[in-house]
Amino acid sequence: MTDPIEPISKSVFVRCDVERAFDLYTQGTDTWWPLETHTRHEEVEGAKVERVEFPTEPGMPILEHLSTGDALTWGELLVHDRPNRIVLAWKPNSNPNPPTEVEITFTPEGEGTRVDLEHRGWERLGALAEEGRAGYDEGWDFVLGRFANAA
Amino acid sequence: MLDALGDPTRRRILELVRDGARPVGEIARHVPVSRPAVSQHLRVLKEAGLVHDRQEGTRRLYAVDASGLTALRAYLETFWDTALAAFKEAAEAEETREETT
Repeated sequence: MTDPIEPISKSVFVRCDVERAFDLYTQGTDTWWPLETHTRHEEVEGAKVERVEFPTEPGMPILEHLSTGDALTWGELLVHDRPNRIVLAWKPNSNPNPPTEVEITFTPEGEGTRVDLEHRGWERLGALAEEGRAGYDEGWDFVLGRFANAA
Repeated sequence: MLDALGDPTRRRILELVRDGARPVGEIARHVPVSRPAVSQHLRVLKEAGLVHDRQEGTRRLYAVDASGLTALRAYLETFWDTALAAFKEAAEAEETREETT
């Protein structure tokens, strides 16, 4: 067995109140998200990202809408607790692997908001890898694909 | 670690060793660089934690964590750094605009 896989933890302080931070993160995603580099549009020939649809109902998908009319999912909303917290089942790909999990919390701090992000659930992918299950090769395909596109 | 992945020859080497351990000589036959250059690339990949080696008889074999989880995780570290930096910029730009109007 391998060691447990640590979550990725990120934290950023923003000078605005929690409601604004939460709404910008969820309902204004396409105004700030790095659409050129952090999206799936390269999977569809000639496509550009038109907008990102971020639901407010748990169980609904987060969708990247493309200029071609296609919509690609980033995962599913699990918890929507405005303005404190969202939890996402994260799977921005079409591979047959389970999603990882991303939790983002918004906490008032001084004159602004602290945004904490935790990306976890790597053991789900790790377990598949250890079983040697066919078709699971997510990490390298994704990373090498990304870098090949960027090069 | 990301620099280690940024080079096309090193990505090719990773593709070669992801499916099983291979010695330097065999890797060198599949990439258009010299054997000493392959050794140098392997050293960079090893320092980045992407490749490990083991001695088997007279041969030293190079292999990767086949799941690529280390690489994926490292990639996502910078993915989220970039995303959150963009978010901070947007949140504070919006706030400034509101204060000045």
